Amino acid sequence: MRKERDGISVEWVKLELLRTAYATRGGLLAARDPRFVIGWYLIFAVVPWFTHNITVLAALFTVCAAAVFLSRVGPLVLGLFVIGFVLESLYVLFAAWLFGGDMSTVLALVVLTLKLATISLASMAAFVSLDPEKLSDGLLSMHAPAMLSFGVSYGYRMLPVLMEEFHTVVDGHRLRSAPLAAKGFLGWRVVVRTATTLVQAFYPLMLNTAKRTRTTVEALETKGFTYAAEHPDGRRIRLAHLRADHRDVLLIAVTLLLVAASFALGHAYPLQAGVG
Amino acid sequence: MTGIDNTPAIEVSGLSFRYPGADRDSLTGVDLRIERGDFTAVVGGNGSGKTTLCKTFNGLVPHYWSGTFDGAVRVMGHDTRDLSVGALSHLVGYVYQDFGNQLVRPTARDEVSFAPVNFGLADHRERTEEALELLGVTHLADRFTWQLSGGQQHLVALAAIMALRPDVVVVDEPVAELDPAHADGIYEALADLNARLGTTVVVIEHHAEYVARHARSVVLMADGAPVWHLPAREAMERVAELERHGIPAPQVVRATRSLAPWAPVPLTVEEAAGHLREHFSDPGGGPGPLPPAAPPGTADSPGPRRPSGEPVAEMVGVRHGYREVGGGLAVVLHELDLTLRDGERVALVGGNGAGKSTLMRLFTGLKVPREGTVRVGGTDTRTVRPAALADRVCYLYQRPEQMFLKDNVREDVAMFPRGRGRSDTDALVADVLDRVDLTGLADRDGRLLSGGQQRRATLAIGLAMRPALLLLDEPTSSLDTASRDAVIAMLDALADTIRCTVVATHDMHLVAEWAHRVLVLDHGRIIADTTPAALFADQALMASVGLVAPQITRLGLSLGLNPPPLSVGEMLDRHQTTGRIRA
Amino acid sequence: MAESSRPTTPPTRSDAPRRPGPPELSSAQKLMVFVLSMTLFGLANIVTEVIPEVRVGPVEVGVSYLAFVPVIMVALFNPLYAALGAPLGEVVFVDLLMGDFSGIGELEGYLQMFLGLYIAGCLVRDPRSPRQLFAAGAVVVIVDKMLSAVVDIAKVSVGVDDAEFVPGLPQSILLLEGIDFVVALLVSGILFGALPAMALAPRLYGKIEPLLGLAPRDPGHPMPLAQRGTAAFMLLALFLSFVSMIAAFTSEIFDNFGVWEPDFIEQYGDRFLWIGASAALIVLVALAVAVRFVLASRRARAAQGSHGPDAQNTGERR
Repeated sequence: MRKERDGISVEWVKLELLRTAYATRGGLLAARDPRFVIGWYLIFAVVPWFTHNITVLAALFTVCAAAVFLSRVGPLVLGLFVIGFVLESLYVLFAAWLFGGDMSTVLALVVLTLKLATISLASMAAFVSLDPEKLSDGLLSMHAPAMLSFGVSYGYRMLPVLMEEFHTVVDGHRLRSAPLAAKGFLGWRVVVRTATTLVQAFYPLMLNTAKRTRTTVEALETKGFTYAAEHPDGRRIRLAHLRADHRDVLLIAVTLLLVAASFALGHAYPLQAGVG
Repeated sequence: MTGIDNTPAIEVSGLSFRYPGADRDSLTGVDLRIERGDFTAVVGGNGSGKTTLCKTFNGLVPHYWSGTFDGAVRVMGHDTRDLSVGALSHLVGYVYQDFGNQLVRPTARDEVSFAPVNFGLADHRERTEEALELLGVTHLADRFTWQLSGGQQHLVALAAIMALRPDVVVVDEPVAELDPAHADGIYEALADLNARLGTTVVVIEHHAEYVARHARSVVLMADGAPVWHLPAREAMERVAELERHGIPAPQVVRATRSLAPWAPVPLTVEEAAGHLREHFSDPGGGPGPLPPAAPPGTADSPGPRRPSGEPVAEMVGVRHGYREVGGGLAVVLHELDLTLRDGERVALVGGNGAGKSTLMRLFTGLKVPREGTVRVGGTDTRTVRPAALADRVCYLYQRPEQMFLKDNVREDVAMFPRGRGRSDTDALVADVLDRVDLTGLADRDGRLLSGGQQRRATLAIGLAMRPALLLLDEPTSSLDTASRDAVIAMLDALADTIRCTVVATHDMHLVAEWAHRVLVLDHGRIIADTTPAALFADQALMASVGLVAPQITRLGLSLGLNPPPLSVGEMLDRHQTTGRIRA
Repeated sequence: MAESSRPTTPPTRSDAPRRPGPPELSSAQKLMVFVLSMTLFGLANIVTEVIPEVRVGPVEVGVSYLAFVPVIMVALFNPLYAALGAPLGEVVFVDLLMGDFSGIGELEGYLQMFLGLYIAGCLVRDPRSPRQLFAAGAVVVIVDKMLSAVVDIAKVSVGVDDAEFVPGLPQSILLLEGIDFVVALLVSGILFGALPAMALAPRLYGKIEPLLGLAPRDPGHPMPLAQRGTAAFMLLALFLSFVSMIAAFTSEIFDNFGVWEPDFIEQYGDRFLWIGASAALIVLVALAVAVRFVLASRRARAAQGSHGPDAQNTGERR
């Protein structure tokens, strides 16, 4: 008996887009100026590389973990992150043990893991709750290529349409191609069929998308997209809404304070992973 | 009149254009003058150069599409070669036939403000609000464009070009991708722009009905050059010439021509009714509507027919929907009961979002209902895989290009029977291709065929599947009149191989000329199960679901014919009969 | 009308085309190739999100990306614009829109993919040749993964004090990187890269280009990069690889490739010098093979098919 599932579907994609678009979760950084959020992220992306002191790293990690909590990152994303981290660390530990590692190996791995985890938590806190359009505006104001922010808007526009078309084409294959006589050992025939269908689906998709693209690019031309690339006025207007206030400055100030405190703590209670 | 006011909106002189690599000119020796404030329709068959001509107005030809360009195009006095495409877009706005691909921003407001912001206009905010207001889409401003219906998307596309306050607006076949009710909305919006702002409007149009109703002048294109440029009424008088170029005259023109040849050509149903009323009232010796006469010759009687055929498919208590942002369920179909029987021709009508496509998809088994049961040939769709159901049900999508999975039409048609190991595949494919008259084009890619040929190709794909139940989604949308008639004729001829055919459509001509049974779907419920004539006669119902009956039916109704005629032929037949009775 | 006194057909302008011959792309055509490539690879990436992944221990036997989509794009169209567009599709459609944006890690991924695709696209002279498509599919993944390995290793060398002396660490990192490389090459490079590209590109050739108003790629006029002789090609390839490494290292110093996606396995680096040397060796070997391949295909073209190593041979040689 088959049941209706809410798995991956056009509706699902639309939902995801709406969720990210409306940044429904809100939270600490969602309302901040995107440039300051990017700056905040960069602090935590840079600082961990300047120390091997486990105390400092642990403190930084704690700050980022708190930020993630305040940003109301979904439990699913967080859970995946934790599981991934633990598993990967175990694999490396296992491999290191295989090659004759010892306590210093473990400590070295702890250092590395803390650094990477801190940076990952920072990117999660900063970007998961930030509306993509806002983020791309922030990047644009930092002179990222205009294609990036166009791509975001265009993606919003086209993704549901493209997904719908993809589904239609795959459904066409499901209905019209030869039914599988048997699933094969471990269902290998199903796997092969899925893979070939996927590949074949791109044949019509590529042609249909090419047709669309022609109209889109013509329209872009008439709407002054290339004009805007040469004249800065449009960019200025587009970014005019980006305005930092005292809370953005406060955010950076508090962050820097916390980083400084972490280093002070590390200086007071140092714990180094050195090579014996 | 000052000299400036005399400058035409568009002046084309000695224009020839050839795409690179093409073996003939797409435009040759075009001379054309479109006055300011005109509402011009450009008509002509496929490949007559209509679209290429209109793309010279906003400079896409030759700035964007290189090629051999001779002659000159002046827009509001400016030579298009002296201005960039960007600068020209302040003079001429262009809405494409596939306007959906023209929308490049996520939300409607964003789309409308995109061009003013790109051009760095200080008053971009005012322009955006003004354009949204102008097209009456302010309430949609913050919606995502993919949440909008086709008609709304078209209005947004129009608003986006109006934000640059162009003097000329070119719209490429608005009727093609929209249902008639929305197409009317677009034309009303254009007429409004034309009247209020004096914007010059140029539409490319296949459907003479809209041309007659809205255009003030008509350009007939053939073989890359205008045949003539005439005021609308004069143009409509040239019925035979239009017909020769693939533009059948509006139904009211044909009816009036036959019934009252001396009357001036009517451009609207009201005009035609006026002329015919006089005509009809003459023999009776006094004004008054044509008495409703029971049509003795017609087979359809009022009220739904209840065929006694075997059930082909049925739905019992079906409820279906999809998840929303909040996690709730948006119900698309409510408690639906429906039986489709042998020999039926069913039209499924209703507005956007009424649940037509969902209903059809449930029959294919690609989706299974959340509640209730869907049975096809007695089999519960939950118990079998969709691939197994495909032996009995075939669903043809609205967009033909989504059904072309292979390199050429023959392969696409053969895909199903070959996959099922039918030994007579080749013979079957040859037979089916012959039936849809595509044998000569079978080795071409379906995507590269014309709109009508694409429809016939998808029909061939369906026929080769030999289903008991054939489901078609909008089989006549974006077709010109001639191709549409060909598709309807082909559907007519299906009866011998398909047990039951269901068509979801906005095209009331298709309903009138082909269907026997009409299901009116509204917000996921069947609110009427009736015949075409009874549906069209129920004007309250028609209005409530946003349907517009064919011209001839509306003409019949306003002349007091009940049940109303469904085709020009029927109207003429009944007139003769009535005439005889009265005489 | 006063203005119409001008002659209708000024001959000087009418026959002066805006652009010279067909191989030169107008800015609009470049944009079209770019947008098409971006859209399709973006869609392909959303699709890969859907495909369930089989994980065997640390190794993902999933499809990390459908490499055949951008491979076909760079094979059929101008490789530069197709290669610039495709990785942006991934960044924008998946990472930004689905809320997976990982900061500077995106830049790293973009550069790797761009270089892989661009080099692969320049290798293809005739999009109908299965041999060249096979090579292109493999090259994309080789370049991409190689660069990512270099970056990962750099991270470990910077992130861990005297990483090369930590017992067991270099070997384990090397092992995991190696497994990852092989799996990626087989799954993404061959199964979902080269083979589908070989099946689809010849069918699309000559059909998809006119839809964009472009002329199909002419084997007689290959991309300038490959045309200017193998030395120039090699130099440029080397230069690009080098630039990307420098870019990776400098950005490494200023910040890091903060990623929180669960592919940390690649990020546990190894003794940098040791691995760096072997990575450089791989680059050189790959380049030598590429050069030989280009030379061979030129010779083959000159000799009109007097010898024709097929796809398998190419695979073995690499």
